Amino acid sequence: MKPSTVQIVKTPSRFKHQVPKYKVTRSDACINCGTCARTCVYGVHERVEGHNRVRPPIDYKCIGFECRKRDFCCIDKCPRQALSLSLNPMYETLGDYRWTADMITGTWIMAETGYPPQRADLEYNTGNSGGGFDKLRFRFPAQLKRVDKSVISTAIPLNRRNDGRADIVIALPVYGGGMSFGSVSLPTMISKAHNATVWNTFSCTGEGGYPEMLIPYDDHMITQVATGLFGVREETIQRVRIVEFKYAQGAKPGLGGHLLGEKVTESVARMREAVKGTSLFSPFPFHSVYSIEDHKKHIDWVKEMNPDALVSVKVSTPSDVDMVAVGSYYAGAHIIHIDGGYGGTGAAPDIAKKNIAMPVEYAITKVHKFLKEEGVREHMTLMASGGIRTAHDMAKAICLGADGVIIGTAELVALECVRCGNCESGRGCARGIASTDSELSDLFGEGWATQRLTNMYHAWYVQLVDILQRFGMRSVRELVGRTDLLEHIDYSN
Amino acid sequence: MPKKYHIHPKAAPLGFDYVCKFKIVRGENCINCGKCTKVCIYEAHKRRKDDPRKMADPNTVVCRNCFRCIQECPRGALEKSLEKDFVNIGGAYWKPDMLLSLYKQAEDGKVPVSGAGYRGPFSGTGFDSMWTDMSEIVRPTRDGIHGREYINTSVDLGRRLNHLTFGADGRLQSIIPATVDIPIPILFEMPDVELSPNVVEALLKAAAEIRTFIVIPAAQITAEIEEYSGSIIPRLAAPEIDAYKAVIKKARLVSIDCSDAVLEDLPGLMEKIGKLSNALVIIRVPAAKNVEDVVARLAQNGAEIIHIAADYRGRGLNNGPAGAEGRLLKEIIRSVHLRLVEERIRDEVTIIASGGIAMAEYVVKAMLCGADLTAVDLPLLIAVGARLYEEPRKLLLLPDGLGRMQAPLLAQRIVNLMGAWHSQILEMMGAMGIREARRLRGESGRAIFFEEIDRDTFGNIFKKQEAAKR
Repeated sequence: MKPSTVQIVKTPSRFKHQVPKYKVTRSDACINCGTCARTCVYGVHERVEGHNRVRPPIDYKCIGFECRKRDFCCIDKCPRQALSLSLNPMYETLGDYRWTADMITGTWIMAETGYPPQRADLEYNTGNSGGGFDKLRFRFPAQLKRVDKSVISTAIPLNRRNDGRADIVIALPVYGGGMSFGSVSLPTMISKAHNATVWNTFSCTGEGGYPEMLIPYDDHMITQVATGLFGVREETIQRVRIVEFKYAQGAKPGLGGHLLGEKVTESVARMREAVKGTSLFSPFPFHSVYSIEDHKKHIDWVKEMNPDALVSVKVSTPSDVDMVAVGSYYAGAHIIHIDGGYGGTGAAPDIAKKNIAMPVEYAITKVHKFLKEEGVREHMTLMASGGIRTAHDMAKAICLGADGVIIGTAELVALECVRCGNCESGRGCARGIASTDSELSDLFGEGWATQRLTNMYHAWYVQLVDILQRFGMRSVRELVGRTDLLEHIDYSN
Repeated sequence: MPKKYHIHPKAAPLGFDYVCKFKIVRGENCINCGKCTKVCIYEAHKRRKDDPRKMADPNTVVCRNCFRCIQECPRGALEKSLEKDFVNIGGAYWKPDMLLSLYKQAEDGKVPVSGAGYRGPFSGTGFDSMWTDMSEIVRPTRDGIHGREYINTSVDLGRRLNHLTFGADGRLQSIIPATVDIPIPILFEMPDVELSPNVVEALLKAAAEIRTFIVIPAAQITAEIEEYSGSIIPRLAAPEIDAYKAVIKKARLVSIDCSDAVLEDLPGLMEKIGKLSNALVIIRVPAAKNVEDVVARLAQNGAEIIHIAADYRGRGLNNGPAGAEGRLLKEIIRSVHLRLVEERIRDEVTIIASGGIAMAEYVVKAMLCGADLTAVDLPLLIAVGARLYEEPRKLLLLPDGLGRMQAPLLAQRIVNLMGAWHSQILEMMGAMGIREARRLRGESGRAIFFEEIDRDTFGNIFKKQEAAKR
């Protein structure tokens, strides 16, 4: 059951055009008869009343070659055969191996409509990376099991320790990752928090402190205690229901953070209790933690300060991540959050993203197995992040052994990030998502952004329910660790 | 603690553009409204200087692919595509983006940084099928990359003793062999193309500045480059020793091409060189099929330093059927390293690996596979603007006018590139919790190999499932 607060409202792109997959070419043979404008139901062709000429085709609205099967296809209807269809070379400049152009386009459609795209020509569930999630497929049974969609539960509990602390249940096995104050624009940060409230799940402050405008969303915020301890105060720890210790992050595992002096504006400096204009280092690692015992001391400290809060431990994925997870259990953590190397939203050295620590697909499998062997799997919540792009990635991660996932990039793509990767250069994000530049951070409003996120979460919800129904399951809890429901292109027959 | 090693980068623009990635075409339906000039924050769109009523052609050099002009043009008059130059440059190994990144690193000496996560394939061939490990809580360095703890990247070249021997009186009896240490695990190699004197000088100057060496064919060592002889490793064939006595005398290291005669009588060769100078001897071995045997034999016969040279795409020489690709350098180094370990002689020799060392991470990975250090050539020329093409056959195009450029500027670019590589090596080592580059050698426990981990996780799960079904 989705929360009653979730309302789907069609929320189109904030730009006039979208990125076209196809190119519709009108040749000189066109006699401007307007047949195409009358036949196309998608609005590719327009002929304005009183104009002699038909307008140039609006490529991005075209659904492509599958339209040829329809009897209203403009190409066949044109009396002069003046129209032709091809792939648009522009599409090649969008996306990459991990986030293909189809996946970005599909996510945009979800954020606009609230539902997965109805187009057969978009492969929006899997990427083109040639490994990990992109080589896993679901092994759906041939017969649809008779489960009523309305009884299927996508909720997961986050506190499984039975220790008297808050029993937090989130409506979807997904929450938003940490993006700090200063790294994204205000509408981005607030919309993430607002959407988390709508969906009865969580969003995270990141390391940069807890800005006051997030106070209305306190019950759905995770506050982060990271190695620089920036913006960490007793009152922020007491304000929230979940506190997250960030040991490392997948995109730059083993490296510290570095906020450039010019980014430390008046308000950022106040939030971080630092001096305006000075570079701020988040060291790696926690200089007070060199063992699991030290780690426990940290967790005890938070538990003492906030007797009801759950503690999450965010680590990246070295080969001993399984030991760290078990150690975190014994140290008293509720959630172990493993962050693989292929995700991340902020700027990170290319060398780190590509090379350091293992992809999250392996880490989930490893940690799940190790916690099980230790006999504590039932008492820990295992959350995975770092490369979870789609609802299918989420379901696959759960089949591999996670309880749920954390997403960052997918949320930004819903806000029309094109993944150009220039988040930190010059004035920051050209599209206003990850920029604090006064002009750029004003490109969209919080309302638009919240609804886009809510829509995307809804599309994921629809897809997850669909997957569960096809497996004949009543709860996403049944999916955890079910690798038998997956097949791998390289190993399975 | 040794003095900190630091490479000083300095912006060194060449004054011309390398390859552009994007092409933007303004269609005829542009109404010159100027919206694009307002939305582009990189100033790719401007009005024409001579006629401000019209828009100038887009300046795609500065385009960062943000799509704003495309999406906000009221007429949809702008079209973007990948530039042909970009698509054609490089190849399957030297990927276009890699060349752009090397060029950029040479420009500013900075570590390449980008946002929005990793965008490449899950894994690849050779060094791309490895990840390096990191330390989470136990055994990390304390903030190595921000300089609060020193990470040492220097390595030694030369023969080392397996153990020390002491006399009955407690005095050391062993004679400790001489070694040469360099502060960065990268040697330069003179690329195998004709270069103008200013480029040669730039290479030498850069090698000297970062305190490494450059391997140059002895025949190319002329009087003009005399002043750099402290940074030069002359390379020659064994029969040429007598012809290059003067050069060898000045050198601290000499590279001799391996041959049957060298294999037959290595001690004889070393003695001959020893009479001329104190130079340490590198034996250069092509990465052929039997490279393990050759290296092991050389090591057993007293070789000090062995240089394994693969081709420019990091492949061994193929002695098999025509068309088949040679082994990957990663596999060759691992295999040679293990062979020497088995023969209990690994610690005594220095192994240099070269061929296809295209990015900073390959240096670290080659060392984790078992090399002591690496040697590079092509990236040094890409730094000064050379374009590399793999298809239909290897082609290296030097930029027009390169011969007229100032050597110090070109040298600075090479220094910048190495500075960026050095910083990246520090990042990887810092993450691994390794503070000594010498300790990287053969540390495969700090590497994650795709074939192994994929088989151990997915292979195990999914093959087992298939078996259970049957």
